[in-house]
Formats: sequence, C-alpha cells, structure tokens
Amino acid sequence: MSLVNYQTREITCKIVYYGPGRSGKTTNLHYIYSQVPEDRKGTMVSLATQTDRTLFFDFLPLDLGTISGFTTRFQLYTVPGQVYYQTTRKLVLQGADGVVFVADSQARQLQENIESFQDLHQNLSEQSVDPRAIPLVIQYNKQDLPSDLILTAEELADAVNFRGVPDFSADALHGPGVFETLRGISELVLKRLSAGAAR
Amino acid sequence: MIKTSVEPWIDEPLRRFVDDAGVVLALLLHPSGQVMAQHGFTKAMDVMSACALAAAIHASSAELGRLLDGKPFSGLHAGKNRQIYLAAAETARGPYIFLTVFDQGSSLGLVRIYFDEFRVNFAKAAPAPVAPPEVVLSSNFERELNRNLAVLFGRA
Repeated sequence: MSLVNYQTREITCKIVYYGPGRSGKTTNLHYIYSQVPEDRKGTMVSLATQTDRTLFFDFLPLDLGTISGFTTRFQLYTVPGQVYYQTTRKLVLQGADGVVFVADSQARQLQENIESFQDLHQNLSEQSVDPRAIPLVIQYNKQDLPSDLILTAEELADAVNFRGVPDFSADALHGPGVFETLRGISELVLKRLSAGAAR
Repeated sequence: MIKTSVEPWIDEPLRRFVDDAGVVLALLLHPSGQVMAQHGFTKAMDVMSACALAAAIHASSAELGRLLDGKPFSGLHAGKNRQIYLAAAETARGPYIFLTVFDQGSSLGLVRIYFDEFRVNFAKAAPAPVAPPEVVLSSNFERELNRNLAVLFGRA
C-alpha cells in the first residue's frame, strides 16, 4: 500500500528484496546505504543473527527527493531467505508496493531460486495480492563469479523470468546492477501508483 | 509540537491522547509499517525506522501469542525511565498499531487509561473506507526519478 499524504504531498512506498538465502539481498541494501548521502537516508536497521544472517529483516529508508511535486520516500526491506523463516517473510511482505527478486547466479543454486520464486508467488497469493500484477523486477546477482560456476542471465531468465519482467545482471558486492535494479523497481511502482492501481 | 497525520480524521483523537496522557512520542501506523500519524519526532527517516520496528514487534509478538496461547499477545510495555507502550487499535478501516513513548511526566497506568479512551475515539472518528484520489504524476516523472536517483548515487 503506497501511502500518499495529500496534505503534505508526500508519497511513501515499500519495496521488498526477496530471494533465497545468501543471494545478496542484504548486500544490495548495504551497497545502496554506502552510496547515498547522509541527508537522504535513515539509519539502516538490521535484525540479524550473530553470524550476520538476516533474522527478521533489514530496513533502509531512502529519500528520493521531489517527483511531480511529491516528496517521495522509499522503504527498502529484505526478507530472511532461509526456508524456515516462512512466517517472517509473510510478515515483511505485507503491504509491499514492489518486489525485487534477487536470484543467486551460481549454477548449484538454481533449484533454490526456483523454490524461492514459487514461495514468493504463494505468499503474495495468500495475502490476496495478484503475483502477476504487483511490480516486480528480477536481479541476477553474483554475475562477477567465474563463468564456470554461474548461469548466464539468459539461462536464469529461462528458469525464473517466465513473466518477462525487467531483469538486471548484478554484482551487488561491488555495485554494478544495484542502481539499475532500484531504478527499475522505482519506475514500475510509481507508474502503477500514477495509474491509480496501487490499492 | 510537531505532529503530522496522513488523514485529518486522525488528528483529534491523537492530539487528545497526547495532551491527556502527557507522552513524549506517539506513532500510529499501518501493520505494513507505513506511518499514519506521529507526534514528537523531528526526522522523517526516524519515523520510518520506528514504524518498521514497531510493525515487526507487533507482528512477531502476535504470532508468538498465537503459537503459545492460541491468540495474539497485545499491549506490550517495556522500559524504566523512558518507557514504550505498543498496542493495536481497530477501526472500520482495519487494524492500526499504536506506539507511544513516555517518561516520568506520565505513567503506564495513565497511558493505558487514555489509550483505552483513544481507541474508542479513534474507532468512532474513522470514516468508512473510500477509494483514495488518484495520484497524478506528471508525464515526465521518469525523468525526475532518474535525475533524483542519479543524485542519490552520485552519478549526476
């Protein structure tokens, strides 16, 4: 549910980074956090285990500045990827305006990507959200790894991008693709909001 | 006093609660973590972080209650000098989460009494759900979005 304050002309949107464990969701947020000036971001909140695995979620508020006269803010969340955190993923996904699915490009992680994508669809459906209608982009992360370890973007698209949504190759650890992914989901979310279909 | 609310019907019940209970901070949010109204915060980013955490605490304690007691826990309290109280408030528009912070200027008993009153006033004030007015972004919003994102990432 995008929140629009007509009195103060503010828009707040919730974006959830979803995907299997260790695919790089938190790394995306860390990179964004490292790039954005202090006055345009809030504190990054990470509810993580002692080994830095996401336990509940990561959260990063971003001020995108003024768009069409609206002060526009994005709330970026990640979900814990491990299969046994199903309940937590549902809670974090609640009210999402857009989803970034972060796939792990490693060939041995293909099945985890597929299962996580199915899990996303199921959790959206359970919240009465049409998985085909919610703004979604896919990021193929870790494309910097040696080519014999990873699948190409085309191979990954064949496996998970059957909707033909915007997709991006990325190396979230060093930055390539992170900005493009955020831009991609931002455009879809704002377009949908502008079309009056966000609620 | 700094107070913002997304919809005007929230103002009066919230103002009354803040005045009566003498709290330092008050935050009303949607269960998804979106802020509906706030009193006392000075930075919008702090509000968003507080909302995300409050929604998480509320959701996880409710799930824990369902797991252990068959029904969600409600009315969480913590702290000594600076205390928080977190509880849900139901309206015709659905549930909202209410978080308040208070110090020696108030007490848990006082907050609970006035929160019960707030809950009633808030439910009464809530209008029936209506379709929100359409947000009209200008045709060149993508250009503005790209420019703003480029500034954020130091690419402008």
